[in-house]
Amino acid sequence: MRTAAVSSRTANASVGNARRHRPDYQIVLFMGLLMMLGLIVMYAIGPQRANVLNNSFGTDYTNTYFFIKQTVSLLLALGAFVAMAAIPYRIFRDNAIKILWAGFIACAVLAVAGWLHLGIAQESLGATRWFNLGPLGSLQPAEFLKFGMLLFAAGFLGMRAQQGLINDLHKTLIPTGAVVLAAIIFVIGIQEDMGTGLALIAILVAMLVAAGVRLQTLGMVGLIGLGLMVLMIVIAPHRVERITTFLQGDTTNLSDGSNYHIIHAKIAIGSGGFLGVGIGNSIQATGYLPEAINDSVFAIMGETFGFVGLVVIILLFTALLLRLINVADHLEDMRLRLIVVGVFGWLGAHVILNIAAMIGVFPLTGITLPLLSFGGTSMIFIAAALGLAFQLSRYTNFTSRVKETGYEDSRSRRRVGRSRHASSRSY
Amino acid sequence: MTMPRGIMSGNRTRLLAVVCVGIMAIFIVRLFYLQVIDHETYVSLANQEQLKRLVIPAARGEIYAMDAETPVKLVLNETVYTVFVDPQVVTKPKEVIETIRSVAGGNARDDLEKLVGKKDSRYQIVATKVTRKQAELTKKHKLAGLGFQATSQRVYPEAQLAAQTLGFVNAEDKGQYGVEGYLNDRLTGEDGVLQSVTDVSNVPLTIGRHNINQPAKNGDNIVLTIDRNIQSYTEKALADGLARTGATNGSAIIMDPQTGKILAMANLPTYQPAEFTKVTDAEAFNNGVVTRPYEAGSVFKTFTVSTGLDTGVIQPNSTYVNTDSIKVEDRVISNAARGHTGTITIQDALNYSLNTGMVTIAQRLGDGSQITKGARDTIYRYYHDKFGLGELTGVEVSGESAGRVISPEEEGGNAVQYATMVFGQGLDVTMVQVAAGFSAMVNGGTYYSPTVIGGVMDSNGTLKPAPIKPAREGIITQDTSTKLRQMTHEARQLFPPGDRPGYYIGGKTGTSQTLDANGKYRFDQTIGTYLGFGGSEESSKYVIMVQVSGKNMNLEGNIHAKPIFTDISNWMLDYMKLQPKG
Repeated sequence: MRTAAVSSRTANASVGNARRHRPDYQIVLFMGLLMMLGLIVMYAIGPQRANVLNNSFGTDYTNTYFFIKQTVSLLLALGAFVAMAAIPYRIFRDNAIKILWAGFIACAVLAVAGWLHLGIAQESLGATRWFNLGPLGSLQPAEFLKFGMLLFAAGFLGMRAQQGLINDLHKTLIPTGAVVLAAIIFVIGIQEDMGTGLALIAILVAMLVAAGVRLQTLGMVGLIGLGLMVLMIVIAPHRVERITTFLQGDTTNLSDGSNYHIIHAKIAIGSGGFLGVGIGNSIQATGYLPEAINDSVFAIMGETFGFVGLVVIILLFTALLLRLINVADHLEDMRLRLIVVGVFGWLGAHVILNIAAMIGVFPLTGITLPLLSFGGTSMIFIAAALGLAFQLSRYTNFTSRVKETGYEDSRSRRRVGRSRHASSRSY
Repeated sequence: MTMPRGIMSGNRTRLLAVVCVGIMAIFIVRLFYLQVIDHETYVSLANQEQLKRLVIPAARGEIYAMDAETPVKLVLNETVYTVFVDPQVVTKPKEVIETIRSVAGGNARDDLEKLVGKKDSRYQIVATKVTRKQAELTKKHKLAGLGFQATSQRVYPEAQLAAQTLGFVNAEDKGQYGVEGYLNDRLTGEDGVLQSVTDVSNVPLTIGRHNINQPAKNGDNIVLTIDRNIQSYTEKALADGLARTGATNGSAIIMDPQTGKILAMANLPTYQPAEFTKVTDAEAFNNGVVTRPYEAGSVFKTFTVSTGLDTGVIQPNSTYVNTDSIKVEDRVISNAARGHTGTITIQDALNYSLNTGMVTIAQRLGDGSQITKGARDTIYRYYHDKFGLGELTGVEVSGESAGRVISPEEEGGNAVQYATMVFGQGLDVTMVQVAAGFSAMVNGGTYYSPTVIGGVMDSNGTLKPAPIKPAREGIITQDTSTKLRQMTHEARQLFPPGDRPGYYIGGKTGTSQTLDANGKYRFDQTIGTYLGFGGSEESSKYVIMVQVSGKNMNLEGNIHAKPIFTDISNWMLDYMKLQPKG
């Protein structure tokens, strides 16, 4: 409880530096553009996807099923974005531990339900990752855990950083490591979800970097992480297969089953060429490329929009990520800054891991491409995270950096430092 | 509260930004490599699996016969379905098996459980020849993993009718025997090509740049000259004749002597084209009228008499002295029917089928006592060059045999050979050759190539007549033709045959000995033949040739073949609505 007391005091002080002002609408702009692109592609390949599923599994999807479902997901995601942008961030900050606990409990319940083969635990491909909520769809508790971890770690590490204890082994690094390890055991160990696990680790690493952990320490963490990863890979054979498939590289052999997904992702991207085959002309989406609307949507976009389109998509993601960095950069409260850095790590890990697998430079991890892939949970949580970052962008202070060089005492900022928007109004 | 200033000033966040931008830059370079530099490689890989060439099967031409003036379908196509399952996709194996069994019935495979259970397979045929209706019923169940493949099968609404003239289509969709075999290319048409990008389950897509759509050219719908009624009656008359006489084999051909059109061809035993796989003796597939040459025997005397009349060496009432035998070089040739000795006419020789009369004609074609080279040349010219014997007639039925008429230029073409040829031995001819030659004899001297093709039914359902085959006009004079008809008419009337009065019918019997394995004539097995025409005195409307045979049976033209001719002939008079005279 001492922690909480400390954090609330410092928070009040630093937020006081930057008055609430106009948020960074570029976040909304880039997010919106990406969502629109995703929706267009879903509209174009939805009928083909429905056709493939209907033919192979005798299902009865209509041509607009995926488009409508994606629209609903987008609306829910926008709702989550707005909610997170509006609900005062203090609530999340102060309840970070509770949210983290909720995530852990949800994962534990899922594990037990899966172990008992209860109906709510949806099993696919040997792993139980989803709660089946019947007509409400399905929910992935790991996303909850990720969110809880983001809030908790930002608060904890931010506090330690402000205390100057960020490199303290016993007070900072070991507790952080323990919590992360617990989360990893659930996500990678029990749910066998390498992608989400890597995203979790990326969130933490980004925060540690931003919080100022010594680079040597980071190197050590990296080595331990690598050791753990090797262990995880060895205990789950399907990962070994993915790695060996990856290491075999460009054996462009169409008949090789284990290579199939990666090769077809590359065929889709490569055959798109400079300008792409155009909307509605994707052929790989007619059943050749697995997970065409989910994990492989980047490849389908490569086929549809070509090099130009993919560069635009990458630039949009990069712009969004850099906006987050920019916001983080100008947040003076380290705890808030780390929240935004965590969102950056979350989004960045998803984007990079997904694209890297699609273009054949990293093994498949089964991770979605944020904002573009079909699927509700991932979309809603990413939008929620961005919503929180959007709210925090109201509290940035753009003059702080200039000031610091001239003033030793940070308290003096209050007098001199003004928010960008406050000053712009005076013109 | 000691935090290194660099952290707050953003070195660390800048580090994150640099790493992020760096990775994105690598991605873009990699994408440039994949999409621009290596583009063609991936396009060809994509085409390799996406681009499929599908054959659009051309519909096989249907075959029509004539129903008097109207073409009617004798062979038509029916779409049937092959039902297959993809055992890996089947979700409800029990339901699939039940549905197929209840809908397809006898067309379903017996071991459905085993076939549907083959989880390592992706294609198992579970039923064949399922009708469209059955296929639609099955589709209604919407079962995953079931597929249908349309194929075409031949249907014969008139069962065995004209089976050997039609032939059949084998499992490889190739025509065999009959018209199906002879006109296979025309009936097959040309398959179209659809080159298209397809989805993963081979369904063509409309997208892509390499699509080719070349429509199929369907096969010709052939209209035969065969008249279904005449054919049907001929088959019945032949069967009745065989039943009456105990003969096991019979053939008949009905021709229109004024055009060369074949109105009916029948052979027994026959078969059902729809069930060609059940036939054990392939001989049943052959149209013996065109494929089986034989020594036609005494019906051949009409050819010799025609030659004699046309060259002017004899008249119907020319006489010679018959001693029932005649010597040709070292061979003595005798008559089968004895006792008509003394000075008799050529008409008598034809009436009683006397071999000596025919040898006499041959001798008169030479120097009067020898069948000289000149005589043999003349005979060969008439038989082979004019009447087309020993040559393919070109009738559009698969497996036609040319037979053999030995020319005087050949080693065997000596006087003795020709002395037997003039009464139908020592040469092999097919019934269609004889009937076509005889048609020329009774139509005033024009040889029409025999044909079974009346024309083509176009897509609008109108009959486009086949181009007329070149005819050889004036191969004998009109006078010869008239006399020949008169002589055969008389020959037929010698034994009252039961013709309906008021018509002009003529005919000649033939009883041919058969050869044993050593090439010697047998005395215990003869083939009975009858060759004749019918119509009015002004014009012959039909030529009929009938042949009956049986293993170890002595079958005679007069006794066994002639009644079949008479039966058909009398029916033809009715069918053709010919008005009797007087």
